[in-house]
Amino acid sequence: MDLTLDEVKARNADVISEALSVYPDKTAKKRAKHLNVYEGDKPDCGVKSNIKSVPGVMTIRGCAYAGSKGVVWGPIKDMVHISHGPVGCGQYSWAARRNYYIGVTGVDTFVTMQFTSDFQEKDIVFGGDKKLDKILDEVQRLFPLNHGITIQSECPIGLIGDDIEAVAKRKSKELGGKTIVPVRCEGFRGVSQSLGHHIANDAVRDWVFEKGGDKAPLFESTPYDVAIIGDYNIGGDAWSSRILLEEMGLRVIAQWSGDGSLAELENTPKAKLNILHCYRSMNYISRYMEEKFGIPWVEYNFFGPSKVAESLRAIASHFDDRIKEGAERVIAKYKPLMDAVIAKYRPRLEGKKVMLYVGGLRPRHVIGAYEDLGMEVVGTGYEFGHNDDYQRTTHYVKDGTLIYDDVTGYEFEKFVDRLKPDLVGSGIKEKYVFQKMGVPFRQMHSWDYSGPYHGYDGFAIFARDMDMAINNPVWGLTKAPWNAGR
Amino acid sequence: MTGLRQIAFYGKGGIGKSTTSQNTLAALAEMGQKILIVGCDPKADSTRLILHAKAQDTILSLAASAGSVEDLELEDVMKIGYRDIRCVESGGPEPGVGCAGRGVITSINFLEEEGAYDGANYVSYDVLGDVVCGGFAMPIRENKAQEIYIVMSGEMMAMYAANNISKGILKYANSGGVRLGGLVCNERQTDKEYELAESLAKKLNSKLIHFVPRDNVVQHAELRRMTVLEYAPDSKQADEYRALARKIHENVGKGTIPTPITMDELEDLLMEHGIMKAVDESIVGKSAAECAVA
Amino acid sequence: MSQNADKVVDHFSLFRSPEYMGMFENKKAFENAVPVADLQKAADWTKTREYRELNFAREALVVNPAKACQPLGAVFAAMGFEGTLPFVHGSQGCVAYYRSHFSRHFKEPTSCVSSSMTEDAAVFGGLNNMIDGLANAYNLYKPKMIAVSTTCMAEVIGDDLNAFIKTAKEKGSVPQEFDVPFTHTPAFVGSHVTGYDNTMKSILEHFWDGKSGTVAPLERKACESINIIGGFDGYAIGNIRELKRLLSSMGVDYTILGDTSDVWDTPTDGQFRMYDGGTTLADAAAAVHAKATISMQGFCTPKTLAYVAKKGHEVAAFNHPMGVAATDRFLMEVARLTGRAIPEDLTRERGRLVDAIADSSAHIHGKRFALYGDPDLTLGLTGFLLELGAEPVHILATNGTPEWEARVQALLDSSPFGKGCHVYPGRDLWHMRSLLFTEPVDFLIGNTYGKFLERDTRTPLIRIGFPIFDRHHHHRYPLWGYQGAMNTLVKILDKIFDVTDADTSNPGKTDYSFDIIR
Repeated sequence: MDLTLDEVKARNADVISEALSVYPDKTAKKRAKHLNVYEGDKPDCGVKSNIKSVPGVMTIRGCAYAGSKGVVWGPIKDMVHISHGPVGCGQYSWAARRNYYIGVTGVDTFVTMQFTSDFQEKDIVFGGDKKLDKILDEVQRLFPLNHGITIQSECPIGLIGDDIEAVAKRKSKELGGKTIVPVRCEGFRGVSQSLGHHIANDAVRDWVFEKGGDKAPLFESTPYDVAIIGDYNIGGDAWSSRILLEEMGLRVIAQWSGDGSLAELENTPKAKLNILHCYRSMNYISRYMEEKFGIPWVEYNFFGPSKVAESLRAIASHFDDRIKEGAERVIAKYKPLMDAVIAKYRPRLEGKKVMLYVGGLRPRHVIGAYEDLGMEVVGTGYEFGHNDDYQRTTHYVKDGTLIYDDVTGYEFEKFVDRLKPDLVGSGIKEKYVFQKMGVPFRQMHSWDYSGPYHGYDGFAIFARDMDMAINNPVWGLTKAPWNAGR
Repeated sequence: MTGLRQIAFYGKGGIGKSTTSQNTLAALAEMGQKILIVGCDPKADSTRLILHAKAQDTILSLAASAGSVEDLELEDVMKIGYRDIRCVESGGPEPGVGCAGRGVITSINFLEEEGAYDGANYVSYDVLGDVVCGGFAMPIRENKAQEIYIVMSGEMMAMYAANNISKGILKYANSGGVRLGGLVCNERQTDKEYELAESLAKKLNSKLIHFVPRDNVVQHAELRRMTVLEYAPDSKQADEYRALARKIHENVGKGTIPTPITMDELEDLLMEHGIMKAVDESIVGKSAAECAVA
Repeated sequence: MSQNADKVVDHFSLFRSPEYMGMFENKKAFENAVPVADLQKAADWTKTREYRELNFAREALVVNPAKACQPLGAVFAAMGFEGTLPFVHGSQGCVAYYRSHFSRHFKEPTSCVSSSMTEDAAVFGGLNNMIDGLANAYNLYKPKMIAVSTTCMAEVIGDDLNAFIKTAKEKGSVPQEFDVPFTHTPAFVGSHVTGYDNTMKSILEHFWDGKSGTVAPLERKACESINIIGGFDGYAIGNIRELKRLLSSMGVDYTILGDTSDVWDTPTDGQFRMYDGGTTLADAAAAVHAKATISMQGFCTPKTLAYVAKKGHEVAAFNHPMGVAATDRFLMEVARLTGRAIPEDLTRERGRLVDAIADSSAHIHGKRFALYGDPDLTLGLTGFLLELGAEPVHILATNGTPEWEARVQALLDSSPFGKGCHVYPGRDLWHMRSLLFTEPVDFLIGNTYGKFLERDTRTPLIRIGFPIFDRHHHHRYPLWGYQGAMNTLVKILDKIFDVTDADTSNPGKTDYSFDIIR
């Protein structure tokens, strides 16, 4: 039985106040600003964002190191990324993000390896710069085909006052101008992964673009050169995107950063257009390249055929007719496939309700893909979105949608319990909570070890996966028959 | 560890803190007390007069060369000096690198785990200057020093530091039980030094436990890397330290929770005693040239 | 077109289609890719003795270590107590990592909170984070106990948990009498097993020594019960349940300290249980009266056992006992401590295990193994392998100490099958890679990260260890006890037979050995 819009709004307002009622007053006041029921005519979602998490509430957020090493830098495949500090950070993030790449790991590529300075007490007390110096030599000796090294700072580095910039500069000189990038992404900086993205972007600016000088590109420029920015190639997303861009006649000269290489970062100033998928994590460097090199950038969304087509046309609008025709040709080519996918899965998913809680992009970006399958997103929120993300979200969400920023474990459980969605899409820490509750779940960071989800090829997988989650026979087995009445 | 007295000497750098503490502890040893000194200053000079040594191998430097503190044995780091006073130095990094505060935590944890305090009547921590970060507050934490003695003088900065240290003590006094044992004024022969020290002590809800007069014999002893107690046991100065030692020994359980004062109050105090003149607000921030014009 | 609505293909096969393969090839032009010949040369070089020597000469860099940091172990230990919410004081990202790490291994939720310290707390200390954090966690998640540990951030700035928690209680964050044991767990000291030890000890101290001075310390009145501490164990679910079965069958009165078996194994029945199972707080307190305490993993509990021994308990430490003799020793020690006889049922179980080994050991005998993992696990496994007539060749523990090395060496020296083996404390999996290239073995035993070694060196991997992310549910089956040894034996045999079959399946070439009976 479907509720009317007013009933939905009343219920959502009610569940917010119910959740808030449990907090101590001071915390309730803080959390209230992050929860809202979206009013359809407003220019933003009516929540505060990018603010410190409240202690002790079980935030789902990570840290700046996760944003830099885990997201932005980690996927650059031909560089060695050193987790500088104690062993844990690098260990827990080791190969966990499914940034696919082509290369011989340990020889010319290093993404799924864990390089750490494994700080001991003596390194904290006496400082770690000498150790870092030695580490850089050892990396060079054992992994001579690496094209560069980054130093990803963990918490202690900033606290004990190590001067990693000085070490990086000195070693770079010693090693004939090798790219060595110190990144100040200590976990206590900022309020979430987000500042780590920004710091990582700035490190590209300062230590690749401005430091490396104007490196000759590896190729002759064409008018159709573009760079994919903000696709981490999770499960191959960037590949199923790249193939469409190339099919429409563009030439992709760089991928940032999934399956990317240092050379591709250096190529990018020659791009005619930067096309930006994850706005949250890479808008900074896009803006910089616009200012510095005059490269325009355009946001796009490759989730679901409606958004893919819209995006292909938006990208093509920056080029001549050849590309515009190319876009139409690609859209037409994949239409039968998309029709077949929708014909197959939409009947099984029509009307199903979804709640999302993801990082900085997908809470809005995947909504179109669900809608292509006849599904409805009834609640969404960001771990580390900013106000501009919530503004952009208004183009996607419906009136009355429940919005939750930096949701706490407690709130999320309450919300799902009351809204009773048919599917929750969030991360590994949330997955089992909701599955225990009998709610189908898909991890929307890692694609639950599936993917790609981007592009036309990806949408077919997305549709299959949502169907397999929701229509999994196991959900009919959660109650013992002798307890069925309870 | 019942009956173990744990005390700490804090004070601004250069105030004569290490000299005062070592002489006092030597006097306590003379009284038959078994003493362990834990130097918590990266300079590692808290035990040189007892050991007649320039500087002792520190826990942290030995740990760094051995790999980690777990690789150390107590006897590697503990030296025996004058009147069987046991000495360890925490040590720490060169100025400007690493984290000396963490070094203090590491060292004290090591000593406790290795049973360094067994058999001692007194453990004395000698702590660098101000309480600059959490690590330097380690000796103030619960089950560490019961009383803190602040070595100061009549100089403005020394008094400022004494007040600051009191703030550190106050932070831990309610939860941890640490107390301010008293101020030790190391005479600098500044104006009205005694009165000033007395009234600061009062303001801090403490007492001036002893006023140590200046005497050149201290320097003579130091040149020989000795305490006065050892170098000139019959001197008047040795008696001063004996007096201080006795007072500290009798001061058990008589420490107080300090009441640190504001910067303004401290300035008022100095003005009261005529050390500082009221500031003419009209000259603040003006260069010499500007003042000349005015 | 590569995709197909009828039979949707995902990353496993999608990218092998010609369109994508061609795209990858073209992309290389923009990558400054290493020329194929150079790449091959470099790849081959990493397999050499020369490379191994350079690799082992490393003094500072650590590559692919097999260890984690202290707070992970702290969270593990805390999770084993009834209604307990682990609370990690420091940066929040760490907690996100621990929760993910455990959830990926156990396929279960892991509830744990952070005090979310940020830059201002780095400068001013995290007292306010503690005050607010405890209040919020207490009100929201209604735990019976909050167990506090620290990240390296809080440790570097020197936050004092004891003082902070007292102050928080005074400010009313949690009731005065509410249980908040705490321990400092600097990530730059030891490893996750150290964090386990510190936390276990802190929880026992809390209950036994008067809850930070708020109540009178418990006076021990020795009773007949014994305590068992499992240690940091990826198989805790299966292992602890197996322990319970063994002890019950002997009629022993026991308390498992840190019982995570139900915590990380809740049913999917429509209800999320944030807290389920765990050692009750009453039992944790009463455990002081036990006559003895047994640690199943001595390298996880040195400080805890020393503390317990001081209380007057008889203590015994095992090293992840696996196989016949190790299980025998464990049961006999339990029998000695409790005066309970080992029942006929268990004797028969033992006989069945020996029977199984006798049936199968021909396939294991003389096979060369490399293994790595935590100190106790590697000791336990080595003992079992020697018992099976297998030959360990490389044994590595990144968090292994000189004491561990000596213990493993002594074990190797006790058996003719341990002759050609080397022990590597403090080394990492990149060292292991060199070992496997230069001194190849038949099988590798290790955790999920071992799959990179399997890929590079083609050494078949038998997954035993923590974490296991890429195989499901093995943590539900015990490795301990005769039954656990049986599971381990089968696991090893299955891999051996699979490899043998794969090696002999080439039609017309090798398939004369493709036997249906083995």
